[in-house]
Amino acid sequence: MKRHNLGTVVSFEVIRTLTKRRFWLATLMVPIALAIVIGLVVSSNESTISQTESQKFSKFSFTYTDASGYVNPAVVATLGGTKATDPTRAIADVKAGVVDAHFDYPADPTKQPTQVYGADNGIFDNGKYAAVATHILLTSARDKIGDNTLTTLVEGTFPVVSTTYKNGRESGGINEVIPPMGFLVIFYVVIVLLANQMAMSLLEEKENRVTEMILTTLDPTTLVAGKVVSLFIIGLVQMLAFALPVVGGYLFFRTELNMPDLDLSHLVFSPGPMIVGALILIGGFTLFTTTLVAIGAIMPTARDAGQVLAPLMVLIFVPFYTISIVVSDPHSFVVQLFTYFPYSAAVTALLRNAFGSLSMLEAAIVIAELFGLGIIVLRIAVRLFRYGSISYTDKVSLKAVFAKEK
Amino acid sequence: MTLNDGPLVHIQNFRMDFGENTVVRDLSFDINRGETFGFLGSNGSGKTTTIRALLGIYQATAGTLHINGRPFRPEDGGSLGYLPEERGLYKKESVIDVMTYFGRLKGLSKPAAVAWSMEYLERVALGDKARLRVDKLSSGQQQKVQLGVTIMNDPELLILDEPTKGFDPVNRRLLMDIIEEQRKAGSTVLMVTHQMEEVERLCDRVVLLKDGVAEAYGTISEVQDQYGGTTVHLKYSGTLPDSAHYRVTLREKHYAEMAVTDAVDEALIVRELVEAGVMVRSFATTKVSLEEIFVKVYGAQNDRAGE
Repeated sequence: MKRHNLGTVVSFEVIRTLTKRRFWLATLMVPIALAIVIGLVVSSNESTISQTESQKFSKFSFTYTDASGYVNPAVVATLGGTKATDPTRAIADVKAGVVDAHFDYPADPTKQPTQVYGADNGIFDNGKYAAVATHILLTSARDKIGDNTLTTLVEGTFPVVSTTYKNGRESGGINEVIPPMGFLVIFYVVIVLLANQMAMSLLEEKENRVTEMILTTLDPTTLVAGKVVSLFIIGLVQMLAFALPVVGGYLFFRTELNMPDLDLSHLVFSPGPMIVGALILIGGFTLFTTTLVAIGAIMPTARDAGQVLAPLMVLIFVPFYTISIVVSDPHSFVVQLFTYFPYSAAVTALLRNAFGSLSMLEAAIVIAELFGLGIIVLRIAVRLFRYGSISYTDKVSLKAVFAKEK
Repeated sequence: MTLNDGPLVHIQNFRMDFGENTVVRDLSFDINRGETFGFLGSNGSGKTTTIRALLGIYQATAGTLHINGRPFRPEDGGSLGYLPEERGLYKKESVIDVMTYFGRLKGLSKPAAVAWSMEYLERVALGDKARLRVDKLSSGQQQKVQLGVTIMNDPELLILDEPTKGFDPVNRRLLMDIIEEQRKAGSTVLMVTHQMEEVERLCDRVVLLKDGVAEAYGTISEVQDQYGGTTVHLKYSGTLPDSAHYRVTLREKHYAEMAVTDAVDEALIVRELVEAGVMVRSFATTKVSLEEIFVKVYGAQNDRAGE
């Protein structure tokens, strides 16, 4: 159905938000902060790695005692160390400044700690003692094995590729989970970022006493729908702004940031989970937004609305506390409860959809529930707005509003 | 009958309940095309409620409320100029953006809305403020913008709820000029106001709302007749005779005021006085003012409320 003036409302709301300096300051603050953190992490990692590498080969005088017998004296010799016979004396020499450090290797280095004693050179430089002590033991062990392949196997640093099958077909594994999980990320980001704005969106008309003039040119449903659509668009813009540094960080500094190496070309976009995810996202967004708008419509001020907002926001985070059960036992009572309770349904169902534990029937029920309730709450929100928004100073009595329906 | 034949506004047997509270009991009146109509009543008498129900903001409990022969729909908002009692603008937006937005909502294209707004702003000496945020304007300047938004698109019906409330004298004058212009341009004006001198000056007909019903309804002259009709101011010497044609309401030495209950025939009263031996030094008639009628009608109500 064509809504009179819907386009005008959407463009007004979107343009006025996107042209506000304040909006971009708030929006860019997060990616800028992220970029700064990424920069710090990268430079810190680079310096840490180079420092660790250089520390391994730091030249300083040291002695060692070895009860294990694993230490190769040749390795120690290349680093300039000498064997000591009395650990107590060796430690005394460190204290006296005769040598820089002493390493005391125990009988079983896998169970007992290797003791490192050294002259204090500051919290960062002190790390070189442990680095060299570890390097000596590791290199000695490798030499003892005498086979690079065996060493790699022992270290467990060899690649493994898993292939699993579902209904007789190769499943995508994590590559199949990631794309539909994107809808959950979008849902969280949009709701968390915009919840306050949603509740305040109609308060603005109310606080500015614009409502009556608006209502004579615009059906309230159109106004509310226009606000919801524009908030969604604004949310996506904000999300893109937030995603930029993450994408940039992944593309250019993945190693430094210790980010997993995701081969995006292997991502599996299964139509079923993607469509279900998109519908749950839109349904959940509709329900939350209309609820927040309804709250805004009955509250006289932003502060009053904020008090009611918090408990609602908690509901979308509750399913995350049970994420292990959601993944491992999706048919447990708790997960079923969260799947069908309207305000936790979107998050739970999106999680289950991503992990492949949401059946088509369950998905259909959740989607129908979210859209159905969303429409009902939209109607309630419109009604509350119609009456509540011209109750300029008082909190609206729900009894009074619905008593007017005669 | 085509839509344009009947009254522009038709309200019949309108009733509005809020829960157990009946705000308007049974109200009926029409507003003809091209007339300026005064909607009068004390605070809380249901005037704003009636306007809101007429504009579909409230749903009437019962009755018919039509504009142009049918219930008002927001789609018809392009031909309506509404200045509500509780009024304001988007404060954080620029003047031109706010005016353009309302112009677009009223059905103007964006260029037309911008052009109309700029022309209006130039007229009210706010042309250089078009790009400023509304909250950077003085309250008087904001009132001018508000008026501009109200009359955008040359509305067929102008509804002004307490139009001069909060307006400074300059803007009050501007408002009156605008009302006059709109009248001349053929707009129908519905004014809700307590300013009786404005009503007497501008309105063709009025309705007085009291206890949820129309206490009086008609031209100003008809309402004046209904509430005291004509007063005779007489300077005289001699003794005033009793008469069936008038009632003496004030008697001082050589001066009297007499309420004429029926349609006055000045010649008859003068002849009666002269025949009774009264020397008439001056004889003048005045109608009772709307303000006096207002006080008479609602003063009694307030007195009762205060008891």
